[in-house]
Amino acid sequence: MRTIAVGAVMALLLLYVWERVDLVQVGYRIQQLKAERNALAREQDELRVRISQLTSPERLARVATEQLGMIRPIPGQVILVSLGAGRPAAASSSEGMVRVAQHIPIQRKP
Amino acid sequence: MSTGRSRVRHYVAVIALMAGFAVVLFQLVNLHVLQAAKLSLKADRQHRKVVHVEGARGTIVDRNGKVLAMNVEVPSVFGMPALLGNPTELARDLATVLHVRPGDIKKKLQSDRGFVWIARKLDPEQGRKVNSLRQQGLGVIMERRRYYPKGPMLSHVLGFAGIDNQGLEGLELQYESYLRGKKQMVVLQRDGLGRVVFPTRSEPQLPVTGHSTTLTIDEVIQYIAEKELEDAVTKTGAKRGVLIIMEPRTGAVLAMALTPRFDPNAVRGLTPHRWRNRALTDVYEPGSTMKMFLAAAALEEGTASSETMIYGENGRMTVANTVIHDHDESGWMTFTQVIQRSSNIGAVKIAMSVGEERLYRYLRAFGFGDRTEIDLPGESAGLVKAPPRWGRRTLASMAIGQEIAVTPIQLVTAAAAIANGGWLMKPFVVSEIREASGKIVFQATPQIRRRPVSPETIQTLGHILEGAVAHGTGTRASVLGYRVAGKTGTAQKIDPETGSYSATKFVASFVGYVPAEDPRLTILVAIDEPRTESWGGAVAAPVFRRVAERVLRYLEVPVQGPIKLAMATRN
Repeated sequence: MRTIAVGAVMALLLLYVWERVDLVQVGYRIQQLKAERNALAREQDELRVRISQLTSPERLARVATEQLGMIRPIPGQVILVSLGAGRPAAASSSEGMVRVAQHIPIQRKP
Repeated sequence: MSTGRSRVRHYVAVIALMAGFAVVLFQLVNLHVLQAAKLSLKADRQHRKVVHVEGARGTIVDRNGKVLAMNVEVPSVFGMPALLGNPTELARDLATVLHVRPGDIKKKLQSDRGFVWIARKLDPEQGRKVNSLRQQGLGVIMERRRYYPKGPMLSHVLGFAGIDNQGLEGLELQYESYLRGKKQMVVLQRDGLGRVVFPTRSEPQLPVTGHSTTLTIDEVIQYIAEKELEDAVTKTGAKRGVLIIMEPRTGAVLAMALTPRFDPNAVRGLTPHRWRNRALTDVYEPGSTMKMFLAAAALEEGTASSETMIYGENGRMTVANTVIHDHDESGWMTFTQVIQRSSNIGAVKIAMSVGEERLYRYLRAFGFGDRTEIDLPGESAGLVKAPPRWGRRTLASMAIGQEIAVTPIQLVTAAAAIANGGWLMKPFVVSEIREASGKIVFQATPQIRRRPVSPETIQTLGHILEGAVAHGTGTRASVLGYRVAGKTGTAQKIDPETGSYSATKFVASFVGYVPAEDPRLTILVAIDEPRTESWGGAVAAPVFRRVAERVLRYLEVPVQGPIKLAMATRN
């Protein structure tokens, strides 16, 4: 009887120690995961910066003109037409109006 | 005998053991009872680590959610001088990586303090290089730095934040209380190796991120404005320029461009002169653009109608011993022609018919002499003298935009009132502020300040200003497919050396709105000291046209009126 009681007390003590050790281990694991999360968040921020820089209108205009040879349309290349046969359009409505681009010769910078 | 000796040994052993236990017991009582408070405090100091964590600064985005200001984590280098080796050698190595003078670093390395910052918020590459030095007592930690991914774009409006992420200029300063993250104290428990084991008690509260701020600015429109303004300033050899685009119905600012720009990511070495938002802080004499407000006052008061005949004195008139000239030697003109041709003599005569008190009242009603209360710091109220302080020439001067000082934001806001049926709106650049959770904490609503003139006056004035673009001084502002209303201005600047108006230094400007019948944009272009040409109609009006053309296309504003006519005009 006494042996069983001593065994039970020992088992409880071991359980307590195991639980404390495990708690510390879980703590370390949580910290490690937090560090990973922070690293990923940092990477995400860096990617957001990159996206923001790459989609900047200044850069897009530079790529369009310098690398792709695009130019702003010159008079006559964009023809504005009215489906309403010259009738004035409603003040703030796009209904009845279309913008057509046609006969645009492709020009590239030499 | 042997039994007696054995017993003595037994007692000695027992006494020795008891004495030993007594010492242990005493020490136990000493540590756990007598010194309990002191030692627990000491243990806590070793185990617990109190960290003050500051939430990240809120992002700033344009009206389409494009990021204009955000945070990035960058390395900062610190040193613990007591643990460092040869400071001279280390200072030399660090100076090479950090691009600073070795002497400055050496001074820090020889400090008496336990911890010193050597360099903060560096490029990631510099952090890696410092780490590779593997020097005891030298460390690299990550800190948040404010970053503006678009570089100089919108720099004067955004402003910038300082080394400790505090707003110092522009929106960063104005909305500091919203943008700044909240500080949070976190208590952690660490082991013998200094590793964080587990937060004590419950999970600590995470630091609160600053609010995300959405602007009324559109980055594409801003780009168009900056590009066209910069091209014009370069082409004309001007000192600087301002271009503001406002939505007249609401007062929302779509673009605010100033040139020369600066990069808010690299403000070290720059002076306030460079980053000041001159669209709000600086005043100038607006010149003939003032005639539109003079005309509004005359029409509203009924002192003239659009058909009233005014004699142009053949281009020369003397007022208070000062000769006023017109660029055309005009005879009789209608009121409409006076404004459309920008006749100074005609304007002076209109001002005389309105009178000092009434003209002053209307100028104030249009917002001149008062801050517009735009949500940006450092705004100036401009200068409009009250009639008791007017000289003999002041009325005539005011008629042609002299002896009055306005800010560009005042001028564009007042012109937007004409575009908006007479309603003067309060301009604004922030449309919405949200918590990190997405909850809206502020949402801007258009605010009417007052209505200086009636809709009837606005209608008449609108036709006159349309004529000023169609066949007046502002023809180069006309936009294919749209009706434009506006007014040119060529203001002489005061020469600081002589104290009188300079014959060579001008501010060329154009302010107008488009489409005239349903205005979507009010645009002000002001070019300071252009060298090649000086007339507003020649320098600023073409910038207005190019900007309006591109922005109207971008906003998909349908073309107005018969297209054939527009094509014929172009051809």
